[in-house]
Amino acid sequence: MGLLRYTLWRLVQAIPVLLGIVTITFVLANQIPGDPVEIMLGPTPAQEQVEAIRARYGLDRPIHERYLTYLAGVVTGDLGQSIYYDRPVLEMILLRLPVTLLLMLSAFAFAIVTAIPLGVLSAKRRNEPADHVSRVVSLIGVSTPSFWIGLVLIIVFAFYLGWFPARGLVLPWADPADVRGAATRLGVLRQAVHHLVLPMVALGTLQMAQITRIERSSMVDSLQGEYVTLARAYGVPESTIVRKHAFQVAQLPVITIIGLGLSTALGGAVLTETVFEIQGMGRLIITAINNQDYELIMGTTLVFGFVYVVGVIVTDVAYSYLDPRVTYGGD
Amino acid sequence: MAVDSAPTDDDTPVDGDASGGLDEVEARVGARYTLKQVRQDTTARIGAYIVGLMTFVAVFAAVDYYLLDYAVAEAILYNPETDPETVRRLLPPVGMENQFGQGVIDHPLGTDHRGRDLLARTVYGTRIAMTVGFLATAIGLGGGTVIGAVSGYYGGWVDDVLQRVTETIYAIPFLVLVIAFMTAFGRDLTFAMVGVGITAIPVFNRLIRSRVVSIREEDYVEAARAAGVRDRNIIRRHVIPNSFAPVLVQATLQVGVSILIVAGLSFLGFGAQPPTPSWGQMLSASRGYMLPAPTFSIFPGIAILITVIGFNILGDGLQDALDPRINN
Repeated sequence: MGLLRYTLWRLVQAIPVLLGIVTITFVLANQIPGDPVEIMLGPTPAQEQVEAIRARYGLDRPIHERYLTYLAGVVTGDLGQSIYYDRPVLEMILLRLPVTLLLMLSAFAFAIVTAIPLGVLSAKRRNEPADHVSRVVSLIGVSTPSFWIGLVLIIVFAFYLGWFPARGLVLPWADPADVRGAATRLGVLRQAVHHLVLPMVALGTLQMAQITRIERSSMVDSLQGEYVTLARAYGVPESTIVRKHAFQVAQLPVITIIGLGLSTALGGAVLTETVFEIQGMGRLIITAINNQDYELIMGTTLVFGFVYVVGVIVTDVAYSYLDPRVTYGGD
Repeated sequence: MAVDSAPTDDDTPVDGDASGGLDEVEARVGARYTLKQVRQDTTARIGAYIVGLMTFVAVFAAVDYYLLDYAVAEAILYNPETDPETVRRLLPPVGMENQFGQGVIDHPLGTDHRGRDLLARTVYGTRIAMTVGFLATAIGLGGGTVIGAVSGYYGGWVDDVLQRVTETIYAIPFLVLVIAFMTAFGRDLTFAMVGVGITAIPVFNRLIRSRVVSIREEDYVEAARAAGVRDRNIIRRHVIPNSFAPVLVQATLQVGVSILIVAGLSFLGFGAQPPTPSWGQMLSASRGYMLPAPTFSIFPGIAILITVIGFNILGDGLQDALDPRINN
């Protein structure tokens, strides 16, 4: 199988998982105690009003019927109607998803860009001071809650030093007219970067620490490989060995750990968005829950699952692309 | 990954050593071997000390709460001083000063937004964090062991069904899953614990299952089966003890992870509810006072950091101690 067919095959394999996610979310959402209609209309609504609302949102029909309707809707891209926002769920998600994706991607970019040199340095200078520093940093990184890092960053860099804003996020492609303090396209970009730095670091630190740890141990293994010994025997300079021979092989476990880190990072995004008051998917799901907005809860959870599944497929494909030994599964 | 990392090649038994190699291989399994290795590994020892200290604090706080001093407990949960004139809100730690006044020795770490002592609340938070961390891990470990062992041992359609279900659970980002779970069943700490425990099931399931699959093919298991030993006994006597080391490492790390997740949940308002002094909940309350009283946001976070570091160091140390191949 070629890479394209492998990718398609992985997508097909993901369908039962996605179906499972829909089912789990649907069951959980229908377990929620309390009545969304009551939240909407207050504690003592008129009977006919209640019935009208129930009929409008399909809450008067039996559960299996609603499940099938919902499933059919999901397949056709209709995630229902948000009671709280009074807009289609999909519309709300499409409004918020780019914010979260921007946050996630920049956090991973930050993590990878800092972790790989740190891990390689650590492996090269094993048991020297640089290694100890890098290991202590990554130990603290995996042990610190991301939301607390966010709070500390706000206190230090927003309140005391005043370098970065404490809340909000600006999308780089936003209209300059909507962004405060930005008159031009360049101004918007500047604002976007300015707002992104602290949440990116807060969310990315855990990933950075995990990638550093894996990069280090993977490089240590790789540097002990026979091909490295052989290259040394041929008199290949040490820097070339590290850069070319050892490095490439060492990246495979790193890709795996990035894939596994996606789940943590998506959860971390909910926390980071709360700390920095960013209106992304994380805030959307919390708002949905606090207002018992069934369809919005289901829709956001489903999209979180979907983003994760797609992320895992991307890392799988990247892995098989980089690893010459993988023959694209196949059966 | 020991910090001092002296090569320990000399201590590790070499496979295939003619003189008593088998004994040494056997001695590598089990609790006594683990203890011995941990004592020799500096990193693991530091981790064990931190975890021990935190457990001690947690137990001590529990005893204090239930037996010793009701007034102290009241002061930790609610504000002892009802007169708004005398309430000392948001005081800084002793020796520092902020707009609310000077730090006093009665409140070494200062006070929170209701005038409660931060040191006492942080200490009591240990009890909650440790309880939640251990119990959530126990739930994940128990569930994962049962599912993994059954799945790996029987294989076939049982394996397929169980693995597809856990895979699906794993495919929802776990914080989102726990939030959805708690929305459905309840917002308090118990459900946070159960929810986090459930998200840990796939981790242990995968670990146990892979061990079981490899052990199932071993000669001695075949021999036991041929001798008519029942499946249940094979799993109990051979499979589980042989999975001891990696599971212990994973469980230790998982306690730390659980503490982090539950703190995050409490921070979001799922989990410990006021006036319970949980670290996540304290940090959530501190958000409104970050500018005038930043130290309020600092100490509960440091408490989380120290506790989780303890479990991580212990887990790493155990890994080094129990797996002679890893010798970084």
